[in-house]
Amino acid sequence: MKKLLFLPAFLFTILLCPATGPSQDWTSLQEAFRKVKSVQADFLQKRRLQILKDPLLSEGRFFFDASGSLRWEYVKPLRTVMLQKGEAVRLYHFTEGKWKPEMTQAVEARRMVLAEIQQWFQGRFAENKVFSHSYSPGPPARVALTPREGINRFIQRIEIVLSVKPGIIDRVEIEESGSSRTSIEFRNVEINPSFPSGIFEKP
Amino acid sequence: MTRRRGLYILVLSVLAVSLGCARLPENSVSPGSSPDLSFCYAGFPAEPWESVHKIEATIRGGVFSTLLGVTRGDPSERRLHSILLTPEGFILFEAELRDGKIRTLKALTPFDSPAFTRGLMEDVTLIFLCPQGKPASWRIKGDGTRTCLWESPDGSRTEVKGSMELGWQILRRDNQGGVTREVSLNGPFVQGLASHLELRAFQPAAYELRMTLLQTGP
Repeated sequence: MKKLLFLPAFLFTILLCPATGPSQDWTSLQEAFRKVKSVQADFLQKRRLQILKDPLLSEGRFFFDASGSLRWEYVKPLRTVMLQKGEAVRLYHFTEGKWKPEMTQAVEARRMVLAEIQQWFQGRFAENKVFSHSYSPGPPARVALTPREGINRFIQRIEIVLSVKPGIIDRVEIEESGSSRTSIEFRNVEINPSFPSGIFEKP
Repeated sequence: MTRRRGLYILVLSVLAVSLGCARLPENSVSPGSSPDLSFCYAGFPAEPWESVHKIEATIRGGVFSTLLGVTRGDPSERRLHSILLTPEGFILFEAELRDGKIRTLKALTPFDSPAFTRGLMEDVTLIFLCPQGKPASWRIKGDGTRTCLWESPDGSRTEVKGSMELGWQILRRDNQGGVTREVSLNGPFVQGLASHLELRAFQPAAYELRMTLLQTGP
């Protein structure tokens, strides 16, 4: 389960990577990365499955603070939220007019995965034991991530397409085994915003 | 006096008959006269379909989980292909039913036991595919409610009752008559699929699934 949860965990990470203009090299990219202290954005997720003619569309938003807090929230078609603050990870689902905690084993697995990817938040891709990376300056600039042994049974390739505007990611494409794919397009991205108190603690 | 006593007996008789009809056991299904049994299958999709459901699962003890369920089915071939995903879109479980055999394509812990696979695919079959063969008995009540009963060689029974207007209820009983599954299908119906449905399992494990149709297609 832990390995499989790398997908959402990895998504969180790559959303938070600061992007650079097409002329910037990898070192500059990482330098920009270190300047990001917080991020918020809306997203549209398209999940393509072999057995579905039309993709599954989900809309949501996320908030990240480099001190180790994350709020990953879907607003359509399901209303769910994952909150991480330090070591604690909690999941909630909105039903019958109120937020209800999700008591699943996935909570613990997610906590472990998210703890591991704190490295990624700091741009330490070279230290990552799950994916190897390559950078293409473009345009558009792209970061390709190739899974190492083990995770490649589930994910074949991930590509992050960067905006020309530093700190902005246009979209992420994830290719899985079979013909399943997921793309996430980002909108209204804000770098280093201030967050209201409790956003990482209360659904 | 004799006329009055006759009238009294008549009124009592009518009341007795009326009460007797009203108190017929719910599961007392008697053979009907109509050879057209299409009403027995009205609560199930008739053509190939694909669907996406929100699934809210509650297991005995109060454990609560929300998942996405994707299903593609072909009623004429009795084929099903089902996928369970997290809200983030990650596949937890994938299996198909073809030629009466269940094949697991992907299953992660804790969804990787043969018992889970069999139980899930039996639930999906109960919800989306009408029971095999012709019903053993059926009836249409005065209020338009239909009841159809299928009997399996192993003694288990499946009862489908309701109407498109009121929704449908599916009861699955074991060979001792105990209810093992109860499904409520409520409209509006889209391509034969209920917009809202609830499945309650009583044995061998107790759990409840509340499903909301999010997306459907051919």
